[in-house]
Amino acid sequence: MPEIEGSPGTSMHGVTGREPVLAFSVASPMVHMDHNAKFDLPVDSEHKATVFKLFSFANPHMRTFHLSWISFFTTFISTFAAAPLVPIIRDNLNLTKSDIGNAGVASVSGSIFSRLVMGAVCDLLGPRYGCAFLIMLSAPTVFCMSFVSDASGYIVVRFMIGFSLATFVSCQYWMSTMFNSKIIGLVNGTAAGWGNMGGGATQLLMPVLFEIIKKAGATPFTAWRIAFFVPGWFNVIMGILVLTLGQDLPDGNLGALQKKGDVAKDKFGKVLWYAVTNYRTWIFVLLYGYSMGVELTIDNVIAEYFYDRFDLQLHLAGIIAACFGMANLLARPFGGFTSDYMAKRFGMRGRLWNLWLLQTAGGVCCVCLGLVNSLPLAITFMMLFSIGAQAACGATFGIIPFISRRSLGIISGMTGAGGNFGSGLTQLIFFASAPFSTAKGLTYMGLMIIGCTLPVSLVHFPQWGSMFLPPSKDIVKGSEEHYYVSEWTEEEKQKGMHQASLKFAENCRSERGGKVASAPTPPNNTPGHV
Amino acid sequence: MAVPAGFLVISLLLSCFAATSYGVYFSSLKETLEVTASPTKGQVLKAGDDKITVTWRFNQTYSAGTDSDYKTIKVKLCYAPISQKDRSWRKTVDLLKKDKTCPHKIVARPYTASNNSFTWTVERDIPSAVYFVRAFAVNAEDQQVAYGQTTDAHKSTNLFEVQAITGRHVSLDITSVCFSAFSIVSLAGFFYMEKRKSKASQ
Repeated sequence: MPEIEGSPGTSMHGVTGREPVLAFSVASPMVHMDHNAKFDLPVDSEHKATVFKLFSFANPHMRTFHLSWISFFTTFISTFAAAPLVPIIRDNLNLTKSDIGNAGVASVSGSIFSRLVMGAVCDLLGPRYGCAFLIMLSAPTVFCMSFVSDASGYIVVRFMIGFSLATFVSCQYWMSTMFNSKIIGLVNGTAAGWGNMGGGATQLLMPVLFEIIKKAGATPFTAWRIAFFVPGWFNVIMGILVLTLGQDLPDGNLGALQKKGDVAKDKFGKVLWYAVTNYRTWIFVLLYGYSMGVELTIDNVIAEYFYDRFDLQLHLAGIIAACFGMANLLARPFGGFTSDYMAKRFGMRGRLWNLWLLQTAGGVCCVCLGLVNSLPLAITFMMLFSIGAQAACGATFGIIPFISRRSLGIISGMTGAGGNFGSGLTQLIFFASAPFSTAKGLTYMGLMIIGCTLPVSLVHFPQWGSMFLPPSKDIVKGSEEHYYVSEWTEEEKQKGMHQASLKFAENCRSERGGKVASAPTPPNNTPGHV
Repeated sequence: MAVPAGFLVISLLLSCFAATSYGVYFSSLKETLEVTASPTKGQVLKAGDDKITVTWRFNQTYSAGTDSDYKTIKVKLCYAPISQKDRSWRKTVDLLKKDKTCPHKIVARPYTASNNSFTWTVERDIPSAVYFVRAFAVNAEDQQVAYGQTTDAHKSTNLFEVQAITGRHVSLDITSVCFSAFSIVSLAGFFYMEKRKSKASQ
């Protein structure tokens, strides 16, 4: 290398004046581009795309994006399909209030386990198989709704359908293998946000299907069962598309690449160990429970809240509930975008502050939502809350890819599971069998959100710092390479298993932020005056 | 700017409160109608099959002229307290606009003082629960002015049960099994074919 990279004067960023300002593309020399690779989009040295072209379906990057978010969207539709139809289902199955609450808890609890498993599956078998297997095996559980005849059957089926929410993990993992870290916040936020919209779309879709089927001649107690066939078929169709059109990595499928020796096969025990012993994993598990977790809780309770508190008709309450979920269209990508934007100037510290601000603002609005007595104010606070919580979800997954390279899958899985755990917990404490009203429950939940977001200040990266502390001054310990390669033992390094982590480390140097334009002086170049 | 905004918020809140407290209260109604229904105490009726015959008339012990503003009689099927337990969407509230005790309409007829009866087949969307029958007398402004019911003031006597349809059908069950089998078989098929292709290419 003729010049020391990053030393003052070498950066060509901004020289032509035509570089894009926003993070839709990556054009800084800190990212090593591979110009020989034959892809539709410009790629880096890992063959991950450095540009996010939303309306393209080009193989593999953008096609993966669309397959991924639509499968996740489908599972959200299936999991929350029962929520808008509860007024009919509760009469058909003779449900009590606690049956309905328990079913809501069950619908999000199943995926606590399945998201953990999916993380490991992605690391070991690849996201394509993980996604396809899950949605095609959960299609029968959706079809099973036609057999349900009492409360216990209802709870069990909702529990089983809930397993399919683990496609979230395969979705995020798949995005991380296809897109460069500089735009990963925006990409992950968009994919997950559009997937989460399914929770809103279903509140509109299912009542419409129900009405159509009723008009076609079915009685209400049969019509809702038939309506469930539609989400079931979405599952099957998406599974087939993922299998036929998708691939795990930019260069091919995991199995084929592992056979060729291009991708090292890793041991589950090791991958798990490095995930579990990293304290940052656990902080994000907690945090995600209070951004995604509360979003899922609201998906389950908000329609009923507006129906009862403000005496709205069912379809109107459903429309308002749908607005909450549909805000994901822009809110979650917005969170990922602000994460990337803050990172450009302030690096990882910017990402952490961004997350804290968004999630705390969401919590404040949730407190207000429970307190107000007028419908327009309630809708306003609900929308502000949805933006805060969903943007915080996007911001969280703007940071997760940097916690670990080796155990990314399991950490994504654990965080996702934390989201569902938070949802089950908040539904249990504040709504299902609570002695206080739903309105008070919302206020208390908002306070808990604010409290449980504070731990983000404890997340510290030696190479990038934290919300309040600067990065380590040590040249070795303060380098990205040291952080990511420390996950491999000497023997593994000798086998060359750490090459992917090395490549990742060099590609994510931009997390130092704009002010730190120069990399630390390499050890054999000490300035004279020291 | 803060003052007009605050004023707007307060007036919104007040208008919401004002709207909700206007209306007819059940406790203000007199029970001037005598209502009887054909089901005996504890009888179980099948939704979609069995019939209820309701008869109602004005109770002559009240002075003539009490019923001068009765325009229409609305007969409804109402939940007994046991079926309202743990189900806040069926709650009894004194303000009739918000009351959810009697959601199921049986019939609405113009008012005559005597000789009223109606035979109703229990509809197939009536849920399984314990019920009684109540009739409201409604005036020209569509406001309730009197009522009558088949049970006592505590809603504990003369209650009957309805057993709803399950909503399940054999054809639905079979279709469900076929679709599920298709999903599993096609997944297994794809997986097997891919494994074979990769073995063949080795």
